[in-house]
Amino acid sequence: MPWFLHLALRQLFPPGKRFPAFATVSILGVALGVASLLVVQTVMNGFGEEHRLRIRESFGDCLVTGPAPIEKPEALAKELAARPEVASASLFAEGPALARNGDFSGIAQVRGIDPTDPGQPARKYVYGGRFDDLDDGRIILGVGLARALRVRIGDRVEVWSPAMAERAEKGKAPLPAEFEVCAVIQTGFTEVDNAAALIPLRRFREIWNLGPRAHGLTLRLKEPALAAATAGRLAVGHPELRFRPWQDIKKDFLEAIRFEKTMLFFLMFIITLVASFSIGSTLFSAVIRRSREVGVLASLGAARWQVVALFGLQGLLIGALGTLLGFLLTWTILSFRDGILGAINSLFGGGDMVANVYQFSKVPLHYDASDFFIAAAFTLLTTAIAGLVPALWAAGRKPSEAMRDA
Amino acid sequence: MPDIVLQARGLAKAFASPAGRLPVLTDVSLEVFAGESVSIRGSSGSGKTTLLQQLGGLDQPDAGEVRILAPGAGLVAPRSSLGRGVGFVFQNYQLMPELTALENVALAARVAGASASSATEAARALLVQVGLGARLEHLPAKLSGGECQRVAIARALVNRPSLILADEPTGNLDERTGAEIMDLLLGVVADRGAALILVTHSREFAERAARRFVLSGGVLSPA
Repeated sequence: MPWFLHLALRQLFPPGKRFPAFATVSILGVALGVASLLVVQTVMNGFGEEHRLRIRESFGDCLVTGPAPIEKPEALAKELAARPEVASASLFAEGPALARNGDFSGIAQVRGIDPTDPGQPARKYVYGGRFDDLDDGRIILGVGLARALRVRIGDRVEVWSPAMAERAEKGKAPLPAEFEVCAVIQTGFTEVDNAAALIPLRRFREIWNLGPRAHGLTLRLKEPALAAATAGRLAVGHPELRFRPWQDIKKDFLEAIRFEKTMLFFLMFIITLVASFSIGSTLFSAVIRRSREVGVLASLGAARWQVVALFGLQGLLIGALGTLLGFLLTWTILSFRDGILGAINSLFGGGDMVANVYQFSKVPLHYDASDFFIAAAFTLLTTAIAGLVPALWAAGRKPSEAMRDA
Repeated sequence: MPDIVLQARGLAKAFASPAGRLPVLTDVSLEVFAGESVSIRGSSGSGKTTLLQQLGGLDQPDAGEVRILAPGAGLVAPRSSLGRGVGFVFQNYQLMPELTALENVALAARVAGASASSATEAARALLVQVGLGARLEHLPAKLSGGECQRVAIARALVNRPSLILADEPTGNLDERTGAEIMDLLLGVVADRGAALILVTHSREFAERAARRFVLSGGVLSPA
């Protein structure tokens, strides 16, 4: 071990002191900064991942639509499902309708789906009732729409489709389709929850006079992350259709999440920066206090770079140890995140935002190695600079002046 | 004739003061030979420490030059012989408070480029020689003033320098301990064949050097 590293370690951790004030406070400061940064980033990643998952579950990994209803959707579904990149393909049809319950009405975005498909994403978001009860006489409503219509499980609603207006135009009496509410879903997406109405595709085709056609297909891909490239390949040979990867469907929303994460990174990084500045300031005091020692080192023949290394390494060591402790603190905080949130909620009387607003069973998180790498790199850089400034100052002093001071 | 270990010619130094430049050293010349002991006496503020710093390369003179015998390199500028050609003993010992006696002495050898093991061995031997064999692992805070100065003397000698510069080495010690340290310093330096320049305001200790000078009004003259 070089002598300056040995001396740096001794000056940081003098023998006989279990918790030396300067080192302990500095390392804790850096650790708290790193932990704040990483806890926020990891939870933000978790929210982002959850939202991405919901987008995929709500809209599929790839949405196939056309300028007009697809004429032979079953054949297209069969063809696409046979592609190696595609895990499954299911048909859907959708359109706006007037939903009514007595004096209460609302605009519903009705979607015809295959209720026997075990992979139907709506199954995961059932808030009340049973998804498997869905049949030709039953309907599943978004929670917001159900509230607007003042209906509960077992209540009946009428659905008026635009096709019924056409029927009225032809002089025939338009009769609404009647359904019994068998389930309510809550996805967390307001636009879905306030308008979604799910009925079997067969029934949708009847009400909308759609015949054998469908409005589109949702594809599940084997590699959802590669949806954009896969969509491009699948589109070849189908110029009349539009293949939209999930990243494109909610592009603005995903961009907002990414931007929010970046902003939070910079806000949280300021905490680490403040810790680094306090290290710089404390190290400056230590260097001034050790002026005579700097002079003695010069009298022993120490080169300037070795004096720089002696004090610069102290900043770097604080940064490295603070970062490691920060990682540990991050893991500890995130392991007990739900307990911590519960304690905060009970202390300040707030409701469980995570469950009530976001519909997550627990605070979501997603560890991303790059966040840890970036946090470590930034912290080490700032603490190294914080240590380097006083180190350069010390090394630049005349030995005779240094020995006269302090 | 013994080798010259220090050659200083025409040294001058002045410091800025509110009243203008204040001369501290004026045309100081000195030659010191191997194994010789030289004392420089002067009152407080006479410039003794300033002279020692110029001679040892801790500061640059305004005029004149200093050459010191460095092992294997002949007479060189003092700055490049620090740690190897010259060893310092300071009034306040100037030990590293976080290092043990053994580590303090070994540090000087490590800075000069010795390996950890050879530095430790040399430090141990010197500390035993100065009577601190039982205090090797003690921190400076646990040592008396006399013991600290013994450690400082061992540190100054660990790299076998040709010249030891001692700045009031007994200044912080009581009379009896001061006398012991002087005995030790003169004895150990002579043992190792090094030259000694002792700066002191004590006439008694100054008299023990082979050649004696007085620094007064910036001028160095034989006592």
